[in-house]
Amino acid sequence: MSRFRLLAGGQWNTRRRFHWFVGLVATVGVLVWSARAIELSPAELLRGLPWIFDFLSRMLPPNPAFFERLVKPALETIQIALWGTLFSVVMALPVCFLAARNLSPSPVVFQLTRQTLNGLRGINEIIFALIFVTAVGLGPFAGVLALSIHGAGMLGKFFAEAIEEIDAGPVEALRATGASPAMVVVFGVLPQVIPSWIAYTLYRFETNLRAGTILGIVGAGGIGFELYTSLKLFQYQDTASCVLVILVMVMGADYLSSKLRARILAP
Amino acid sequence: MIEVRGLTKAYGEIEALRGVDLSVAVGEMCVVLGPSGAGKSTLLRCINRLTEPGMGEIIVGGRPAPRGRQELRELRRHIGMIFQDHNLVPRLSVLKNVLTGRIASMPQLAAALQLFPRADVEIALRALERVALADRAADRADRLSGGQQQRVGIARALAQQPQVILADEPVASLDPKTARVVLDDLRRAAHELGIAVLCNLHQVEYALEFADRIVGICAGHVVFEGTPAQIDDSTLLRIYPDLTGGDAVALSTGAHEAFMDGILS
Repeated sequence: MSRFRLLAGGQWNTRRRFHWFVGLVATVGVLVWSARAIELSPAELLRGLPWIFDFLSRMLPPNPAFFERLVKPALETIQIALWGTLFSVVMALPVCFLAARNLSPSPVVFQLTRQTLNGLRGINEIIFALIFVTAVGLGPFAGVLALSIHGAGMLGKFFAEAIEEIDAGPVEALRATGASPAMVVVFGVLPQVIPSWIAYTLYRFETNLRAGTILGIVGAGGIGFELYTSLKLFQYQDTASCVLVILVMVMGADYLSSKLRARILAP
Repeated sequence: MIEVRGLTKAYGEIEALRGVDLSVAVGEMCVVLGPSGAGKSTLLRCINRLTEPGMGEIIVGGRPAPRGRQELRELRRHIGMIFQDHNLVPRLSVLKNVLTGRIASMPQLAAALQLFPRADVEIALRALERVALADRAADRADRLSGGQQQRVGIARALAQQPQVILADEPVASLDPKTARVVLDDLRRAAHELGIAVLCNLHQVEYALEFADRIVGICAGHVVFEGTPAQIDDSTLLRIYPDLTGGDAVALSTGAHEAFMDGILS
């Protein structure tokens, strides 16, 4: 008698074993097929290692003189993130009620709004940035628009899901007093969702700041432009300065927003 | 004040109400007794139309069945409701929760901006005084105990200055002492303010202690109607047919003792 008994996943029979075998073969097959296509090669990595170290050594030390030139683009990144977040909140707010299953006036409206939000969410900020650069020209405003549209999809869905999670009891109690639908939302729904809405918005600002650091690569403003040019000009010490500034900004935003969120969500 | 005639309601195949007749007078505390699933909740919810009634007639304060949303809201404005889980808005203050009872009769935009007419605030505070919680007006509702929250629920209903209060198992999750405070608040609302109170309970002893009149419901039918003094073993067996004779005797003996305690205290 063994001292141990395997209790992983229920009853094993021939059919189940066969299904597992087929699944395993298929998974390994897909992975090998993909590895070939992407030229996954440990040997290549090993051969490249010295060059990676060479590149890193060229980055050191970061160029302190370059920091001064980064102040304006870094601030611009924060400003882009700020307005991008604000616009996405403004766009998400009216839509989220229609996209919440428990408040939506009809299943058709619900599906329509939810799928639109999914569409906006599904397209990366950089793709939106490329589109807006063509539409409104190079510069930070294109970046703001890109973050706004993508963020509206994200926040709209988060806001709607927060509405779906509320306690239905108070809402029913308000309906029972004869309050109008608008008042039911103001006094029954909003007090229950606002803390999580603020938390999502702060989190969105964090994400927008991170996304804002690369918008410059496609010419949509922010510190990404400096990063990209310094690489193109082989000024790797300047690149290192950029990376440092980005790290400080992102970590600072993470820290501040997580502190704020913890305070807001405290019961 | 409340007239119900031949009310039916079916959820798909399940018939919750099979022709209920009931009337509650001004200033009367009427208790509906019955086992779980007898249709007590459905009956109450049909009266303010949180549940759409089937056949039959429901007249509240002389108003016929509402046509359209405007009339429905107007009907609900005159009917206060008290829920088993009080259903307060957790993050709002006690006072604001009570004020929500008045929202239907306030200027909407001002209310949305959290500007409330002084007269309405005054009514809300008086409602809180009636349940002895005026000193907790500024506290957040979820800081209060379960019994206090239920009394805020009563204050919210009173703030509506309703003709009718419907209470759906208002003391099901409260300890006996708190339950008596809540039921006493309700009875005083009926007797002192002339509100018709229709209250669902499943504890016989509370019904005997607090009701002016008891309506027994079983399987969607009214099987008893009368004063607490008219309740005896055979009526209890009609309301709770699953009880054996012995249980009913024990229940009614215990209940009568509680009733006498209530009268003597």
